[in-house]
Amino acid sequence: MAGTIAEPPFTIAKIPVSSWSFAIRVWLTMILALFVSFWLQLEAPGSAAVTVGILAEPTRGQALDKAGFRLLGTIVGVIAAIAITGLFSQARDLILAAFAVWIGICVFAANLLDGYRAYAAVLSGYTVALIATQQIDTPQHVFESGVSRGAAITVGVLSMAIINTLMDAPNRHPRLMAQLAAIRRRVREYASSAFRGEPDKSTTFLMLLREIVALRPEIASVALESSSGSVRGAAARGVAVGLIAELQAARVLNNDAADIDNAVCDQPRTALERADHADLPVHRLPEVVAGQKRVRDVETETSAWAAREILRRDEGVRQDLLALRLARWPLRAWRAPLYRSYRTAVESGVRAALWLAIASFFYVWAGWPASSVSLSFVALIIGLGATTPNARGFTAITLIGTPIAAALTGILEFIILNGADAFPVLAIAMAPFTVGAAVLMKSQNRLWSSLGRVNLLFIPVILAPSNPQTYNPQSFLFASLFLVAAASLLLAVQTLIPPVSDEKRRMRLLAEACIELQEPARKNGEAPEEATFRDASRIGQFLALGGAQDGRALADMLSCFDQSAMVRLCDAKLMLLIDRPLAPLADEARAAIVERDIPTLRTIALRLRETASQTASVEADAAACLMLISNILDRASGVDFSQDVT
Amino acid sequence: MMAHSFAELVVGGVLFAPFVTYLVAAIVLIVVLRPLLHVVGFPKMFSHASVAELSLYVTILGLLMLLF
Repeated sequence: MAGTIAEPPFTIAKIPVSSWSFAIRVWLTMILALFVSFWLQLEAPGSAAVTVGILAEPTRGQALDKAGFRLLGTIVGVIAAIAITGLFSQARDLILAAFAVWIGICVFAANLLDGYRAYAAVLSGYTVALIATQQIDTPQHVFESGVSRGAAITVGVLSMAIINTLMDAPNRHPRLMAQLAAIRRRVREYASSAFRGEPDKSTTFLMLLREIVALRPEIASVALESSSGSVRGAAARGVAVGLIAELQAARVLNNDAADIDNAVCDQPRTALERADHADLPVHRLPEVVAGQKRVRDVETETSAWAAREILRRDEGVRQDLLALRLARWPLRAWRAPLYRSYRTAVESGVRAALWLAIASFFYVWAGWPASSVSLSFVALIIGLGATTPNARGFTAITLIGTPIAAALTGILEFIILNGADAFPVLAIAMAPFTVGAAVLMKSQNRLWSSLGRVNLLFIPVILAPSNPQTYNPQSFLFASLFLVAAASLLLAVQTLIPPVSDEKRRMRLLAEACIELQEPARKNGEAPEEATFRDASRIGQFLALGGAQDGRALADMLSCFDQSAMVRLCDAKLMLLIDRPLAPLADEARAAIVERDIPTLRTIALRLRETASQTASVEADAAACLMLISNILDRASGVDFSQDVT
Repeated sequence: MMAHSFAELVVGGVLFAPFVTYLVAAIVLIVVLRPLLHVVGFPKMFSHASVAELSLYVTILGLLMLLF
């Protein structure tokens, strides 16, 4: 049996074997892509190599997912390039303006998406730059250039798919399963600390929430791994959404920990702790908890209900994890929606358009030869920066990374290869550069990892492998200089018009959370759990923007999360009363929730409880929910939102 | 033996090799077959399901070229 202590990974030269095998896969893929492109006599074999550099992802599912979105983004970009060139041919300034607007639209879209979807959005933006802008003086070649780029990308994608399959690149789902199971264990620990009456640990809650939400884009990648992938993806989504619901239930209990009578929680606590160690069947636990009939006090019963709720959620998560392991459809197909802040996205889009407009104005004014190439690099850096949390930081990294990449390419092209025209020589000469950059990319250090990625991307861009290779020092110098010029110009422009600041984004997220709390937007057919996941993803975005340092705003954000999650749960429970004699009381309760009328809510809860025949009835559930929401509203009334919304 | 004739695929004046048509058709077939493969338990039959699926793709591609 596998032990619980993880074995240290086997290392060569202090680098894990997995990093080495990844790097060698990247190199082999690049060589295969170049070989096939030369053999097919494609016009842009360099694009195939760059594609491999971009698709260098550690697992098969992620690489395939990114490849699919790269193809999609390229197709959209080529169509947009043809449309822009067709509409504004013979008018350089109009083309540049249209192009800036298009980049703005793409950055706007990227801000509303996550993972590789965001990448596809910016790719369709800078594809226009690579095709239309570079052909600005020869618009009749736009279509051909688009087709040759598409062909090269397809070759890169196919090489990557074949090498990853034959070289047994790791799948994402086994690790995802382990990660989700570990998070579930920690959520249970968090819940059982509530049973023990330990004080609320907001940091644990936030850390767990952030980890769960961060898995969202990776869950989407599982779908492509095998024919069972889509089933596994659905199950993993169910686990993630269920875990957020369980975490929220645990937080409710944690906050009410002071009210808990120890006797009520003895059995659920031992149940949770017992089931912690192994996959004991826990399906009988809710009945154990339901057996707490001697408790008659409503407050205590509310806590007991919250404890039951955690166990119910945990059981759902357990079943979904099992479905993930056995590749079975989960019982309920849940979506995992992402929170989208439209106003921030619009602002980012407008700024991106302005950056490009200013840069193109500068290039037109400077009148350099081949400045269109440099402008397309500006668009490339704007686009890739939009998918990172810090756009200006990415430009700075590129500015550091490009001279390194240029120097390395110079060594490769003019010292090592220096006129060689045999393919095996190219393959061997590229090995140290590609493998080195890929190993660096897998580093834990963010700076090294970014530098590795920049090098893996820009070495093939500057080298521009072709058959026969020209070995023209002038074109090498131009390519390197224009790349560096693009990065420094963009950094200057981004200093002039900075990206939307983190603080502003945070305040906007908080304001939107408060507005949504006052006027809940009902999406059609969305389960309360899904809406709670969306709220959680908003907190995840808030934390990613450095929200942990802003204690007051964070407290407001969490208060909004607690309230809206509980309001939704109450709504769902009250809906169940609609066909029962107590329907008018449910309507009253709904009105009281809207009014934030705490005394009325408590009165209604007591009346509901009195009419309930047994502890596990619908009425008793609704009563417990109303009691909890009144507690949460009571606590929240201390926080004044009116200042933060403005 | 009669010479095999190929249906030509022309998109916007660009002539695509017949092989490309076969590649795409095989991908479409695989995508359609995927739910069926899952129901049959195809990925569970092999230690390296991805290699098995690639082989299936090559088989389908070969069959398409042989039959059509």
